[in-house]
Amino acid sequence: MTGPAEAQHVSEEQNGTGQALAGLRVLELSHAAAAVTGRILADLGADVIKVEPPGGEPGRFVEPTVPLLNGERLSQFWLGFNISKRSICVDLESAAGLREFEALARSADIVITDFQRFDLAQTDSLAARARAANPALVWTEIWPFGRGQPFESHPAGELVLQALGGHLCLNGDLDRPPVRIGLPVGILHGGAEASSAALMAYYHRLKTQVGQRVDVSIQECVTWTLLNSTMIWQLLQIDEERGGAVRKERANKFYTRLVWPCADGFITIAPVGGGFGVVRERSYAALVAWMAEEGITDELLTSRDWNGKDAFRISQDDYDRVAEIIGDFIKTKTKAELMDRAVKDQILLAPISGIRDVLENPHLRDRGLYRELRDDVRDVKIEYPALWANLSETPLHPPRPAPRAGEHDAAIRQELKWQSQLQQEAV
Amino acid sequence: MSDQIFSGIKVADFTWAAAGPIVTKQLSDNGATVVKIESKRHPDSVRLGGPFKDDKPGINRSGFFADFNSSKLGISVDLNHPRAREVIEPLVAWADIVGDSFRPQVMARWGFGYDTLRQINPRLIMFSSSLYGAAGPWSSHPGFGAQGQAIAGFHGMTGWPDRPPAVPKGAYTDSVSPRFAAAALMAALIYRERTGQGQYIELSQTDTGVMFLTPELLGLQLAGQEAERKGNADPYALLHAVFPCRGEDRWIAIEAWNDQQWNACLDVLGSRGEIEGLLLAPPDVRASDREAVETAIGRLTSAWDPFELMTALRRASVPAGVALRGSDLLADETLRQRGHFWPLEHPEMGTLDYNGSAYRFERTPSRLTKAAPCLGEDTDMVLRDILSFDEDKLAELKECGVLQ
Repeated sequence: MTGPAEAQHVSEEQNGTGQALAGLRVLELSHAAAAVTGRILADLGADVIKVEPPGGEPGRFVEPTVPLLNGERLSQFWLGFNISKRSICVDLESAAGLREFEALARSADIVITDFQRFDLAQTDSLAARARAANPALVWTEIWPFGRGQPFESHPAGELVLQALGGHLCLNGDLDRPPVRIGLPVGILHGGAEASSAALMAYYHRLKTQVGQRVDVSIQECVTWTLLNSTMIWQLLQIDEERGGAVRKERANKFYTRLVWPCADGFITIAPVGGGFGVVRERSYAALVAWMAEEGITDELLTSRDWNGKDAFRISQDDYDRVAEIIGDFIKTKTKAELMDRAVKDQILLAPISGIRDVLENPHLRDRGLYRELRDDVRDVKIEYPALWANLSETPLHPPRPAPRAGEHDAAIRQELKWQSQLQQEAV
Repeated sequence: MSDQIFSGIKVADFTWAAAGPIVTKQLSDNGATVVKIESKRHPDSVRLGGPFKDDKPGINRSGFFADFNSSKLGISVDLNHPRAREVIEPLVAWADIVGDSFRPQVMARWGFGYDTLRQINPRLIMFSSSLYGAAGPWSSHPGFGAQGQAIAGFHGMTGWPDRPPAVPKGAYTDSVSPRFAAAALMAALIYRERTGQGQYIELSQTDTGVMFLTPELLGLQLAGQEAERKGNADPYALLHAVFPCRGEDRWIAIEAWNDQQWNACLDVLGSRGEIEGLLLAPPDVRASDREAVETAIGRLTSAWDPFELMTALRRASVPAGVALRGSDLLADETLRQRGHFWPLEHPEMGTLDYNGSAYRFERTPSRLTKAAPCLGEDTDMVLRDILSFDEDKLAELKECGVLQ
């Protein structure tokens, strides 16, 4: 049996000692978005404790689920974003559970929660309780539209948020409805944004001892992915038109092909049309030189400065003619041939990856993005994308298996007991 | 202002395009003094991309550039000039944070790699954000988010299953990596506050982009299933699609995940008979009728004004959202109530609404204090007031061409 004196040591072991956020404790009350936040903070070395209802949080079982060799089925989203955390089960509907939650809040630096775990009233009640117990707490919430105005209670899901953030209307062919990105990007952006926002508030607290409430709007996160749409309207009174493989690029007046069939799939390239300065000019010159090597020397390819001074005067007819010549060339090459040459000669193109391509990508593998995680409880080995940043003094924490519901009940309760003893001794 | 999170924090900002400047914007809009370094010879590349004021190209006329560079100061220093270090070294000595988003090694070639800069300022935190990262076979390959979104899988997951992938608007990984970069940067600031130690952070758009595909990568490994684009469908929802409304090219997204939302949706649309006739089967069989159901619902929605329909569905607790366009966002009641847009006046572009942050701090409000800088707008002020150069030195540096 260890005592209070070892508490600090145990905590360091849990956190690892070389991480930027070692010693920082985060309580995570999540369904989906806040789990993304917790994963990022755990990677940076925080002790992230999932506070789950008895039996585990509903997020564990959200479809699509994946089968595990121990017979369990778990949500692939949950399993993806809940590694490297601890779990305690607390019944927040009981008086004893609420007292325990207060003790947890006293021990924590940051709380993160999301709109799918609790409703407004439950969130506010828990926030009041936690912040009364620990006024220096950074209390972070992720909501579809943020807090504090009538909009806070508008119902919304991922598709609706991609629409209201202004992104949906810009994707897809004109003969069909606008089409989404087929990933829960709103939830993911909201979760990632909350990690930096919570740390900004924590940095402020380090310097001032003042805690505060932070809220993140998923709609605003999606709006930030447009990059220039609201400026295009203000400066040109143009609402951009959506496109599929072909669309108007930036504020150009002609339609550009951005998705090109190649021998074994698709690539993206925007060979002509300007923008991005000399990099694009060089890229086009390298492409034209490669085509010339293979006997394609149509005069149109070099008849004007396609990415420089003539870029603003390209007609649709000009564009279509030059695109046909380039397209016929691309069709003869594979994705790998195109990318190899692109890297060699600095041509701005990229293969359009499927999920397997992403997992097998030689560049990403060479960089060490993926880390194999062996999970003995669930009897699986999984490659996780993990090394998302290199911090020279405080490397990211290697992944540890996602916790079973309540896996750390006893250890965390023991730590809370020590903490309370230490506080009493101090008094 | 003393009530802001980064009051007193100083940043030498070499970032360009979108992913880097979006990170330093989080600092400048929260009180840091951010000095953006460019030159006529090497301006921020998005200054050359539209939309331009009055549709006339010009180095200080790009709205694309403006939105990412609020609350920053701008200086013009030719980094290829042999005397550039006379400006850059004192600036780095002054700074808490240096950021760049060039291809790996570009800063080192100028003599401003981290190993050099840390000699000048041992407490420095430097971050470098690039498309492909500093290591790996593609590391020196140039590129932007348009390539990053294809490599990282966003592009392939967007569109209809029977057609080539549709391009997701907006150089997508440029919007993903700033959130990770800001988190890493904050962690490094917190670590420095505790230990006094600075460090170097290096990350890439493609790596951080792939983090968002973690669930799909697990699904492939554990269930052997490769996720693919599937339009707007979700097999676990009763209704999950985008429907036409009255007006030109007007659309609304509607989701129903349970019987309550489904019934409420039909009640609002006011014509249950036709749709229910298509649905004599229990919910899990509804998928087979999906197309017929969506066509029938589309006939009903097309008589509605999209905003009136959204209001009615919201009242009935059904998730619904108009597919907002750029102009709609500027008028959107929610974004306006939230104070998302900040009108800022610029000498060449007039007053424009800039996008503010996606987070709100209860005690330390973010504040967009000025429009994006014209190229070199603050060179004199920064060199005189921040670096304490005297008039002779300033004149000499101008004369030799390092200040453009």
